[in-house]
Amino acid sequence: MAGSAQVLYSVKGVKKYYPVKGGILRRIKNHVKAVDGISVDILKGETLGVVGESGCGKSTLGRTILGLEQLTEGNLVYNGTNISGYSKKELKPFKKEMQMIFQDPYASLNPKQTVGEALEEVFIIHTNLSGKERRENAIRLLKEVGLTEEHFDRYPHEFSGGQRQRIGIARAIAINPSFIVCDEPVSALDVSVQAQVIKLLQDLQKKHELTYLFVSHDLGVVRHLCNRVLVMYLGQMVELAPVDRLYENPVHPYTEALLSSIPRPVVGAKRDRIRLQGDLPSPANPPTGCPFHTRCPIAKDHCAAERPEWREIEEGHYIACHER
Amino acid sequence: MSTETVTASIASASRDKKREKNFVKTWKRLLKNKMAIVGLVIIALQLIMTVAAPILVDYDPNKQNLALSELPPGTDGHWMGTDNYGRDIWSRLVYGARISLFVGLGAVSLGLIGGVVLGLLAGYYRRLDGIIMRFVDLLFAFPGILLAMLIIAILGTSLVNVVIAISIWSIPTCARIVRGSVLSVKKQEYIMAMKSLGASDGRILFKHVLPNCTAPIIVFATMRMATAILSTASLSFLGLGAQPPTPEWGAMIAAGQDFMWSSPHMIIIPGIAIMLVVFAFNVVGDALRDALDPGMNLDK
Repeated sequence: MAGSAQVLYSVKGVKKYYPVKGGILRRIKNHVKAVDGISVDILKGETLGVVGESGCGKSTLGRTILGLEQLTEGNLVYNGTNISGYSKKELKPFKKEMQMIFQDPYASLNPKQTVGEALEEVFIIHTNLSGKERRENAIRLLKEVGLTEEHFDRYPHEFSGGQRQRIGIARAIAINPSFIVCDEPVSALDVSVQAQVIKLLQDLQKKHELTYLFVSHDLGVVRHLCNRVLVMYLGQMVELAPVDRLYENPVHPYTEALLSSIPRPVVGAKRDRIRLQGDLPSPANPPTGCPFHTRCPIAKDHCAAERPEWREIEEGHYIACHER
Repeated sequence: MSTETVTASIASASRDKKREKNFVKTWKRLLKNKMAIVGLVIIALQLIMTVAAPILVDYDPNKQNLALSELPPGTDGHWMGTDNYGRDIWSRLVYGARISLFVGLGAVSLGLIGGVVLGLLAGYYRRLDGIIMRFVDLLFAFPGILLAMLIIAILGTSLVNVVIAISIWSIPTCARIVRGSVLSVKKQEYIMAMKSLGASDGRILFKHVLPNCTAPIIVFATMRMATAILSTASLSFLGLGAQPPTPEWGAMIAAGQDFMWSSPHMIIIPGIAIMLVVFAFNVVGDALRDALDPGMNLDK
């Protein structure tokens, strides 16, 4: 991405805490800090990857950005409009702009609704099209994602996982959004089907000038698809860089460890895999200072005391680490 | 008709066919259960009695003929005998079937409306959950028949008030069942998907949550028919429901208890009728639960 690219969606200091209630009076005892201070500018037309371990808050980040979760703190600025704190009604025009593709294609479609009904419903919600126009549009969408008109009256259980994900994608692009959060869209699919769905996502991006936020734990897919990658750990930002720079020259020790875990398809290739010690700390009770210091191979004393600053080490390459 | 409308109507026809197929599947599974067939036959007989009552009987159910009182079953012209006023018991039984079915249906549908609405709201909106469920707990605190008696004491004795009382009594159970289903359905990703599409709460609740909660509601309604019919009979027996000379089964038993030794058929016949109908709705409810169980979808 060139530096001149326009910012589509600016995420500023977003926090999402879930209260942990306990005791007889169900008082709030603690918070699970699912997303803890994420600031990133999503550029028009790019694919921003978000990677991290399970439970690091990447899916929550995606949902929070779409307004599906209430913000605890921070601002969301979409195309110059600060939409944080907007009511459901005020958000509705923005919902047309932002859509989501879900992880589990078996769960993201209502089993009691035919595919046609599901697609038509989007138009019922957002447009005043007649029944005939809705049907035509739904069929156009089916064709666009590689399905046919015959699929219109079928129920979700009659489809394979890949086909269902295509339906999910068709639903997401139905009202021409500009921004789509892809929440691990291919991780539930077979490898061969994954490739097809990724190809479809790429084609649609070109055709409709879409911007993706691609949440995934599959580092291979992210490298293939994304322009920039944000690495998260325990709800916090660890490293952000253009994809090639990140994969070739990871700076943060967590990113290094994460990338070294990618299996290499070369017989006899030596892997110097960095094994992290210990378990992922609980996001309800994250370590002080740098969240990674408990498992970091290069941690020093001050890492436990101070939270590292988010700084730019090269153009477009940011990290949060005291030592590098 | 343009070609487009033709294709559209063909499409909607094929959609209906699919729905029908699901229905037929459930139906076929239901018919595999022998007990369910027995239950369905009894319910069918009650339906026939309800619809064709005037054709099935020769006498007015309330017409007295003191000359022919307390005839035993098997008498010519009165094959089920007559009661102490000489009324034909078969006629009264047939018209009683109509009452019990109407009261059952009325009470269950009213109870369902209340219970489904409360259950949907409680399950979907966490803020309302506490309030609605405490209200439901309050209703639960009374034993069913007592609650019904209390309501009738307030409203006055009549069959309509029995329907109201029994429907109010059905609300808490129904609300809990629906709430439970809503809690599990609303966590599904397709509900999240509808939210991200910007669908209104009403649309999500009635088009996405409710259709996925139908199985337990259908089972509850069927089982509740049995309870409602039995409770109507109990309340009428206690003199709180149907008033004489209405040919209600419970009222018939109440009227017959003084003649228990001389003409036992006056209480045995309506008693068996109540028993059979309650049994029928219970076994059909049970069988429906099995037939609608998604786990059973795997076989065949």
